[in-house]
Amino acid sequence: MSNSSTSPGPAPEAAPSAAEREARLVTLLVFGAMVIGAVVQIWIPPGPTTLVAATGIASLVLLGLTFLVPGRLRATLTGFRFTSSLLIALAIFAILGTLILQGKPAELYRAKYPAVAGLILALRFDDIFHGLPYAGLMALFGAAILASASLRWPISARRAGFFIAHVGLLVSGAGAAASSMLSVRGRIDLFAGGDVAHQVRVTKGGVATGATEQLAFELKLDQFDLVNYETEYRVGYYEKVRIVRDGVALDDYKLKTSFDPDLGWHRLPQGDRFRLKAIYPDFEVAPKVTPAADGPAALLVTLAGRPQWLQPGEVVTTADGALAVAFGDQLPAPPGHPTAVLVSAQERRVVIHRADGDATQPLTDGLVLLGGAVRFDQLLPHATRTAVYQTRSRLWNNPAVVFETELNGRPSETLATAAQPRGVFLRDGRSALVFEKRDKEVKAFLSHVTARQGNTLERAVISVNDPMDFGGWTLYQVNYNPEDPSYSGLEAVRDPGVLWVFVGFTLICVGVFYMLYVEPRLRGGGIDRPAPPASTAAPV
Amino acid sequence: MLQYVFLEHPFFALTSLLYLASTLAYGLAWVSPSRLPGRIGTALMAAGVALNTAVIVGRWLEAGRAPFKSLFESLVFFAFCIALLYLVFERLYKTRLFGVAGGLMAFGSMAYALAKWDAEIVKLPPALQSGWFVPHVMVYFIGYAAVAIATGVAVVQLLASRIPFVHRLTTLKAGSVLSGEPLDLDRISYDAVRFGFVLLTVGLLVGSVWAKSAWGDFWVWDPKENWSLVTWLVYGAYLHLRKVRGWRGDRAAWLAIIGFAVVMFTYLGISVLPTAEESAHVYTQS
Ligand code: HEM
Repeated sequence: MSNSSTSPGPAPEAAPSAAEREARLVTLLVFGAMVIGAVVQIWIPPGPTTLVAATGIASLVLLGLTFLVPGRLRATLTGFRFTSSLLIALAIFAILGTLILQGKPAELYRAKYPAVAGLILALRFDDIFHGLPYAGLMALFGAAILASASLRWPISARRAGFFIAHVGLLVSGAGAAASSMLSVRGRIDLFAGGDVAHQVRVTKGGVATGATEQLAFELKLDQFDLVNYETEYRVGYYEKVRIVRDGVALDDYKLKTSFDPDLGWHRLPQGDRFRLKAIYPDFEVAPKVTPAADGPAALLVTLAGRPQWLQPGEVVTTADGALAVAFGDQLPAPPGHPTAVLVSAQERRVVIHRADGDATQPLTDGLVLLGGAVRFDQLLPHATRTAVYQTRSRLWNNPAVVFETELNGRPSETLATAAQPRGVFLRDGRSALVFEKRDKEVKAFLSHVTARQGNTLERAVISVNDPMDFGGWTLYQVNYNPEDPSYSGLEAVRDPGVLWVFVGFTLICVGVFYMLYVEPRLRGGGIDRPAPPASTAAPV
Repeated sequence: MLQYVFLEHPFFALTSLLYLASTLAYGLAWVSPSRLPGRIGTALMAAGVALNTAVIVGRWLEAGRAPFKSLFESLVFFAFCIALLYLVFERLYKTRLFGVAGGLMAFGSMAYALAKWDAEIVKLPPALQSGWFVPHVMVYFIGYAAVAIATGVAVVQLLASRIPFVHRLTTLKAGSVLSGEPLDLDRISYDAVRFGFVLLTVGLLVGSVWAKSAWGDFWVWDPKENWSLVTWLVYGAYLHLRKVRGWRGDRAAWLAIIGFAVVMFTYLGISVLPTAEESAHVYTQS
């Protein structure tokens, strides 16, 4: 194809003045299309239909003009300078669509971009991809491809790539147009075992329009499964970061990495060291009693099967309060218990106190009372009692760890339980270690549904990335409610254009590959080089 | 930090070091009359790729999923793609001239990953559990690596016409150049863009097919999507402009560089956009 002449094939431009003229025409076309669009949309509001209709009509008008108007219009429109400029203009629109929030209320633009809000709203850049300036560019796009194709007709093996790829662009565009005009999407809320759904609540841009659309089939949720990842316990390492939320700068802790709970020493990114000195899967604090030269006595009592060390003045009771054991020399019977066993260390005797009277007997090692409900094992005349950390079992019922950290060479120890995670702060709070439980991390939502249309019945499991096709609709898993495990939110989409979009995309891929890798070979190897490179290194 | 990475994650550190060392060796090849430094550069780069592969496979096994979820993981994969593709280019064009650029980019990607160290292995949310996830990311990153290399070549191309030393390098027979054949920098850069463009095209297609199956729509005007489109359009313009007289050489080189700047923004910069908050694509803290 020429860049400025009407004949196909790589021919360099004739003269700089022609190039200048072409550049002017290119600018005129691109800006003209946008300005015309901007003016026309004063009367015609933007929207998918406007976009598609305007693009189609303008494209065909322009294409007609290229055949009717004498001069360089057709040559320019099919030239590479124009094509490239158009692609860059489209890229600029795509960028603007990410710089300006789309589809928001007018007040938001006035508040957020006070200086340019008027311009944004006047040009309808708040819905930039449905506005007429964009339609103007798309019209140029369509017309240019069609005009280029007319120049290259008929198809040959050496030019097939252009047709495949660029027809693919048009097919995708047409599919997207059909999709934006004809597709219907909406929400279906289902409850497991609940009502059958017959219709869809139509949405536009994720917002309910209030309209409904019949499904033409029945949909029932048989079961909804919320599958979580397995619970795990880890040591998380956090660093303090500054974040801006709603325009306010705040300090936050950000998870940088984490460690398996193991007993080895670990280095931390900011230079400190830590290890878990102990790991208790089922943590409890238990008293530890050791004989001593002086100090109070200690008695090992087993009440309702649970051994415990008591020191003078202490009382243990059964869970129902029916029985109490009190250790001390002159204790009154603790009130509120039908039976109380009072133990005197000094006198080495036991008093069984009941409403109907007391019974006394000597305290001996291994003494069993009340049919085995109470047993006395050891009496130490003097003992010290300390609290020790221990695990009740090997099950991860109440995990806790003891952190040993080394900060600037100084060691310190901290107990941390996963049930009440607290940070071990390092470096004046710039970083922290947290022993944490990770659960309720969602792995999958699975809706087991039954769809019925007349005599056709289909059961399927819908999950994210695995929609169900039925009765012309595609049903997607989009929502769930952690508070209500019976609820499942589906999105239903009927989109007659999407297939064409993908057909077009596939053609683009095949065509681009063909143009860039097959055609050069068909043309006799090497790359297509219509113009000599301007600066190629000259080897010695 | 360095101490931490070396002690806790020695393979990450070693991979980075290999890339750095290969950069230095390739640099030495520029000035040495001997072929040895160039060969050492290649060997170190190949070792870096091997170790990088091991790091990726290791993390894949540890995470139980493809390690392409977080920015950290993608940077490690990006380094791998750049280094691997560079080695292919070295073989293809029989030159080690761009070893410094390739090595620096691979090292830079690793170093950025290590310096940020957002290394937490995050569980895959349902939307990412798709058969499209791995091909989408792989195709894009190989494409990104190709245009990265094109940019490296374009930079050399621009410098060659301005700095005599660089110009001399492009004509060097001993040391850095394997075959002694003349280098057509414009062509090499174009070849890399061409290859990258095919992958960017496929990546865009795969992405939209995936978007359809996950979100129910093939295009949602998400900022990341838009910027991928911008990238594609810019390289599309590059390919069309090459057919216009005067748009090869320096101008094409500048376009390749601009294209890569757009790629880098698409990859790393989206979070600064006002529309990023609503994006499903931005690399967040994980
Ligand atoms: C305004 C719309 C477009 C027009 C008028 C147009 C026109 C052309 C023409 C005439 C060719 C040359 C074919 C030949 O060698 O005979 C071409 C090549 C090409 N087009 Fe387009 N094109 C357009 C849009 C696009 C887009 C959006 C892309 C993808 C981003 C694209 C990708 C390509 C590629 C990859 C080549 C091959 C370039 C090469 O051979 O180096 N085109 N185009």
